[in-house]
Amino acid sequence: MNSNISDPAFWSRFQFGFTLTYHYLFPQLTMGLAWFLVYWKWRALKKGDEKYDKAVRFWAKIFGLNFAVGVVTGIPMEFQFGTNWASFTRYSGGVIGQTLAMEGMFAFFLESAFVGALIWGEKRLGPRYHFAAALAVALGSWLSGFFILVTNAFMQHPVGYRSESNGLLGIASLSGYLLNPWAFVQFAHNQMAALVTGSFVVTAVGAFYALRGLHATQAQLYLRGGTFVALISSVLVAFPTGDQQAKMVGRHQPVTLAAMEGKFVGGSRVGVAVIGQPNVAARRLENPIEVPGALSFLAYGTFSSYVHGLEEYPADAWPDNIELLYYSFHLMITLGTIFIVLMGYASLQNWRGRLTSSPWLLWALMLAFPFPYIANTLGWMTAELGRQPWLVYGLFRTRDGYSKVVSNGDTIFTLIGFIGLYFVIGLLFLYLEGREIAHGPDEVVVAGGGAVASSRQEVVSSPAELVANRNGERFV
Amino acid sequence: MIATWYVLVSLMLIIYVALDGRNFGAGMLHWLVARTPEERRQVVAAIGPLWSWHEVWLVGFGGTLVAVFPRLMASAFAGYYLALFLILWSLILRGVSIEVGGHIDDHLWQGFWDSVFAFSNFLLGILFGVAAGNVGRGVPLDAEGTFSMTFFTDFRVRGYVGLLDWYTVSVAIFAVVILAAHGATYLMLKTEGPVHDRSAVWAKYLWSAAVPLFLAISVESWVVRPDVPEHAISNPFCWLGLLIAVGSIIALISGLSTRRETRAFVGSSALLVGLLVTGAAAIFPVMLYSTIAPSNSLTAYGVASSHKTLVLASFWWPVGFVLATAYFVFISRRYAGKVSVKRDAQGFY
Repeated sequence: MNSNISDPAFWSRFQFGFTLTYHYLFPQLTMGLAWFLVYWKWRALKKGDEKYDKAVRFWAKIFGLNFAVGVVTGIPMEFQFGTNWASFTRYSGGVIGQTLAMEGMFAFFLESAFVGALIWGEKRLGPRYHFAAALAVALGSWLSGFFILVTNAFMQHPVGYRSESNGLLGIASLSGYLLNPWAFVQFAHNQMAALVTGSFVVTAVGAFYALRGLHATQAQLYLRGGTFVALISSVLVAFPTGDQQAKMVGRHQPVTLAAMEGKFVGGSRVGVAVIGQPNVAARRLENPIEVPGALSFLAYGTFSSYVHGLEEYPADAWPDNIELLYYSFHLMITLGTIFIVLMGYASLQNWRGRLTSSPWLLWALMLAFPFPYIANTLGWMTAELGRQPWLVYGLFRTRDGYSKVVSNGDTIFTLIGFIGLYFVIGLLFLYLEGREIAHGPDEVVVAGGGAVASSRQEVVSSPAELVANRNGERFV
Repeated sequence: MIATWYVLVSLMLIIYVALDGRNFGAGMLHWLVARTPEERRQVVAAIGPLWSWHEVWLVGFGGTLVAVFPRLMASAFAGYYLALFLILWSLILRGVSIEVGGHIDDHLWQGFWDSVFAFSNFLLGILFGVAAGNVGRGVPLDAEGTFSMTFFTDFRVRGYVGLLDWYTVSVAIFAVVILAAHGATYLMLKTEGPVHDRSAVWAKYLWSAAVPLFLAISVESWVVRPDVPEHAISNPFCWLGLLIAVGSIIALISGLSTRRETRAFVGSSALLVGLLVTGAAAIFPVMLYSTIAPSNSLTAYGVASSHKTLVLASFWWPVGFVLATAYFVFISRRYAGKVSVKRDAQGFY
C-alpha cells in the first residue's frame, strides 16, 4: 500500500476499509443466526415444544440489535461510493449500480419488512406466519449477501460488461454479470464463513450458561445445534469453498496468489509455507517451513504444476501490501484449521454425551466466539488487498478511483468521526447484548420499579398471565 | 427511456420522504407533544419497528441512482461531501436512539436517547430541506461537471454559492415546518390520550404556518430560477403534481376538521408527494443546475448510463418495485391502529 499520508487514495481506502470491516461484524452474525431461527421456529411448529419458541424469542432479540446496527452502519457504505470513490462510480456505476439497486429492491425491502414481524410478531402472526417471517428475513439477508458479492466479484474478475463509446462501463450481459463464476465461489465461501460466526456465537452462549449452571435446557439446545452447525460449516468453509476460491485466484489473479504465499520466484513443485515472513525489499520469504509441493497441488491440481512467482510480473502489478496480504491469508487458514479441530472434538464429545461434563471444553467453546469474526475479517482483507492495485481487476486502478474534489483533510475528518461514532456504538452494543445474555432465555418475572412497572401491573393480575404477556408480541 | 428512469428515481426519493418524513416530524415534536417518559414511549412506539423499512427506501433510491445516473451520484455526493456525512451521522444517531432507548427501563437512560432522537430528527429535517433547496437553486458546477462547496459564502444564490444562502435556508425552514406538520398528523393517527390531543393542536398550527411559507417559497423559487416555470407549464407531470397537491389539501382539511385521522394522514402524505412531484417535474431534465454557467448543468440525458444498461435495468427493477409494494400492503395492515406501550420484554418500544 502506498501509505504516504499525502495520498488521497490511501485515506479513502482506509476509511472504506474501516467502515466496511466494522459494518460486516454485524451482518455476518445475522446471516448465520437467521437459519438457526428458521430451524428452531420450524421445530416449534412441528413438535410444539416450548423450548424452541423460547430459543427463537431469545435469539430474535440478539438478532434485532445486530440487525439495527447493521442497518445504520450499512447505509454509509452505499453513499461512500459517491462521496469518496466518485471517479470509480462514474466509471463503473452502470454495472455495479445494478446489483447495488437489486440489493435494495429485492433483499433489503424483504428483510426490513419482516424483521419487525419476526422480533415482535409472534402472537399476532401465529406460528405459521411467524415461521414465514423468519424464513423471509433469512432469505433477505442471504440475497443481500449475494448481490454484494456479485458486486465484489465484478471488481475481482470483471465479466458481462462492455466499454461504451465514452470510455465508461455498461452492462453487456446481465446474466453474464450476475452468474459470474467468481461470485458463486465467493458467495459459497463467504456464507459458510457467516454460518461459522453464527454457530460459534450460539455455541459460546450455550457454553456460558452451561458453565454457570443456568438455563440448562436452553444451554443444551444451543450447544448441540451450535457445535453441529459449527463443525459442518467449518469444514465447508475450507473445503470445497475455500479451496475453490484459492483455485479461482490462481487462475485469474496469479500474481495475487504469488503474493498471498510470498512466492517471489516461480517454479513447479512449489510448497506452502506454514511459517515464514515475506521480505519484499530482499524479495524472499524469511525462515520458511514448507510443505513441499502443496501449493502446486492446491492451486492447480498436480504436485508438479507450475506456480508463477511475483518476479515474473512488473512491480506495478503487484498487490501493494504483500506482507499484510500474506499474514491475513495465513492467519485465516490457521484459524480455519483450529475451528475444524475444536468443533470436531466438541461434536465427538457431544455424540458421546460428555459435552456438558467437560468444563475445559466448555471454556474453550465459550472463549472461541471472537475468532470467527477475526477469520472473516482476515478473509476479506485477503480478497481486497489481493485485488490491489486494481479497483476493477485489470481495468481500473485504485489510484484513479477516488473523488478528486475531496481533500485529504475532509476524508481524515470524516474518518475520525466514524471511528468515534462507531466506538460509542460498539460500547452500547456490547453493553446491551451483555444485558440480554445475562438476562437469559428463561423469562424471569421481575417486580421492577418505575412507572412502566406500575402500568404493567394494571394489565396483568397473576404471574402466569404476566409470563404469558411477556411472551407475547408487542403490537404497534 | 431516460425520462422514464428520471420518473422512477424521483419516485423512490419521493416515497422515501413521504415515509421517513413522518419520523422526522414526529421526532422534532417529540418533547413538545410528549411531556412524560411514558408519553414519549408512545411517540417512539409509533415509529418503532418500521424506521428501518422506511430508511431502506433511501437505500433503494441510492442504488438505483448509481445504476441509472452514475455521473450524477459521483458529482453530487463528492461535492456535498461534508453535508452528506452530517446526514449519514444523523441517520445513524436517529436509528441508534430508537433502538437502544427502550432497552433499559430507566428514565435517565431513556431521557438521554429521547433527546438524541429529537435532535437528530430535527437536524435531518433541516439537512434534507437544505438539500432540496440546493437541488432547486443549483451548485457551482464547473465545465467538467464537478463542484466542491463550502457551507456558505455570501448568502447569494448565483455564482460561487455555498450550501446555505437565503434561498436554501428558507426552503429548510419550510421543510422543517411541513415535515413537523406531517409528523403531527401521523402521531394523531397512531396515538391516544394527551399525546394525540397535543399532536392535533400542533398539526393545525403547523399546517396553517405552512401555507404562507409555501407561497413565499414559490415566489422565491421563481426569483432564483426564473427559467423553470416556463418549462414547467408544458410538463404534464407538473400539472399531475399540482392536482395531487390540491386533492390532498382537500382530504387533509376535511380529515383534520372531521377528526377522520386516516384521511388526514393520507392527505398529508399525498401533499408531500404532490409538492415533490411538481418540483421534480419542473426542473426536468436538469438534475443539477450550474450557478456558474447554465451550460455546465448536469441533465438526465448527460449523466445517464448507456441505453442498453437502462433497458436491462427496466426488466428487473419493476419486479422489485411490485414486491416492495406487496410488502407495503402487508405492513400497512399489520401495523394498522393505535400503538400500545404495554411492556412485554420483546425489545424496545
